[in-house]
Amino acid sequence: MNDTLLWYTTRGAGAVTLVLLSASVVLGILSALRVQSATWPRFLTTGLHRNLSLMTLVFLGLHIVTAVVDPFTHLGWLTAVVPFSSYYRTFWLGLGTIAFELLLAVVATSLARGFIGHGTWRVVHWLAYAAWPIGVLHGLGTGTDAFSVWFFPLTVICVGAVLTALGYRLIAGSRDPLAAPRADFEAAVQQKEA
Amino acid sequence: MTNLRLLDGRALELGAEGFAEHVRRLGPLPDAGPSLIDVVAASGLTGRGGADFPVGYKWRSIAAVSGGSAVVLVNGAEGEPRSLKDRLLMTARPHLILDGAFLAASAVGAKQVVLYIGEEHHSARQSMKRALAERPEHERRLVRIVAAPARYVAGTSSAAVHLVNAGVATPTSNPPTPHERGVDGAPTLVQNVETLAHVALLARTRQLPGTLLVTMAGGVQRPGVLEVERETTIGEAVAMAGGATEPSQAVLIGGYFGSWIEISKALTLFIDPQALRAYGLSLGCGVIGMLPASRCAVCEVAGIMRYLAGESSAQCGPCFFGLRALADACSRISEQGTNSSDLLRMRRWAAEAPGRGGCHHPDGAVMFLQSALQTFGDEFAQHPPHLRRSA
Repeated sequence: MNDTLLWYTTRGAGAVTLVLLSASVVLGILSALRVQSATWPRFLTTGLHRNLSLMTLVFLGLHIVTAVVDPFTHLGWLTAVVPFSSYYRTFWLGLGTIAFELLLAVVATSLARGFIGHGTWRVVHWLAYAAWPIGVLHGLGTGTDAFSVWFFPLTVICVGAVLTALGYRLIAGSRDPLAAPRADFEAAVQQKEA
Repeated sequence: MTNLRLLDGRALELGAEGFAEHVRRLGPLPDAGPSLIDVVAASGLTGRGGADFPVGYKWRSIAAVSGGSAVVLVNGAEGEPRSLKDRLLMTARPHLILDGAFLAASAVGAKQVVLYIGEEHHSARQSMKRALAERPEHERRLVRIVAAPARYVAGTSSAAVHLVNAGVATPTSNPPTPHERGVDGAPTLVQNVETLAHVALLARTRQLPGTLLVTMAGGVQRPGVLEVERETTIGEAVAMAGGATEPSQAVLIGGYFGSWIEISKALTLFIDPQALRAYGLSLGCGVIGMLPASRCAVCEVAGIMRYLAGESSAQCGPCFFGLRALADACSRISEQGTNSSDLLRMRRWAAEAPGRGGCHHPDGAVMFLQSALQTFGDEFAQHPPHLRRSA
């Protein structure tokens, strides 16, 4: 009975991770596009993006831990950290491990942004664009529920949302609404003769 | 020599104290070198520009990486709207500041001193230039003078360094901090002019000067700069400034990045960075603003929030848009009366904004707003519509 509970938790947490991560990616793209209105200032987008990302890690942790401790699977802890080390569905589980580690890097560098500087953070943050599709493929490739009536439409919705946001970003570009006020301010604080 | 004060010597109306008079009064520049760092650290001196950062700690970390190549940036930008003490000190006692700068340069191993002086502080700049011309050649050749643009953020250490390096006084994100990589890439000590004047006295007496400079602002009979003992209470300082013009309702301690305190709790507080820190307060840049009972606190706060939002250097969204959203919500309450959604929005956004910008401008502005919401909770909760008026 307990084993079954672990197994259901693994699957459920995996599905929740997919939804949270996709929402976080969409919000990340929206904040790069500087989407905002009078009642929704941009720092709410980034705040939600940050909190969703942290929650993603929590459910991802649950997903991994329950999968590993499930005595039925015998996956072992190595599977969680070394890609393609699993005897079971080596390729598809390996994708999950890679996605997990990429996300860990993205979140860790965000938390340490004050120490590593903006430039380094930004470079690492692009890895989110790799982590998300790898995670989706992992779900489709090895998910017990991958093509069930509830999970497959969920995947389609998540992929659709991210692709829509991504397409929007590519078309709309990321026009910088701060360009004009920044130029004004910089003109006001130019060096003059001492 | 004990109990030296910053403004000892000739009357302030007589203008700057010349070099000969300065040396006659205090003696020549004492020997410094790295050993001064321990004296400064042991004294507990903290920065008087606003951040209240331990001076000895900063000097030690710069000396450790300097190798004789560091830069001392003397910060006389004084962009804080109500503060006057830095320009008064530069105008009246320029040699104290220069002493402090050369002592700091010798202690941390610096090969260059930059005087960063507010472009609108004309008499202060004249006085510092004249004082520099009186110093010996080996000191003069270390120094260059740069004008600080008259904007709030221009006094931030990273903005000062950016102006010297790139000609634009916008703050840059840390890391690297100026003390890691500052002017021309060298480790740079950015220190407020009053802090350096304290060092000039400290190097002579080996003890922390018992006084500091504050600017009394708002509802007092004689607004302006006072030199007060550290055991002076705010109530006593108000009396020294000729008393209040009318009963006050609250005090803003530390300028626009400071905290509001109800008058009943404020008057007995000591004007001492260490004592205030124990209450979770900061003397900041030393502005003590008295808010008269007849003035509307909400309208004052809205005016200052609009000012701080306008002083964003527009480099980061959370600061430019976030502060604007907060100032707008605050202004709506001020002009149209309390509405619960703006109140709720302010509380929520204020909790979201800190730590999100490249510099600390949004953090300072939000801390100011949070202390206002706390101290003037009732006023914000039941504010009648007021016509816009300038703060």
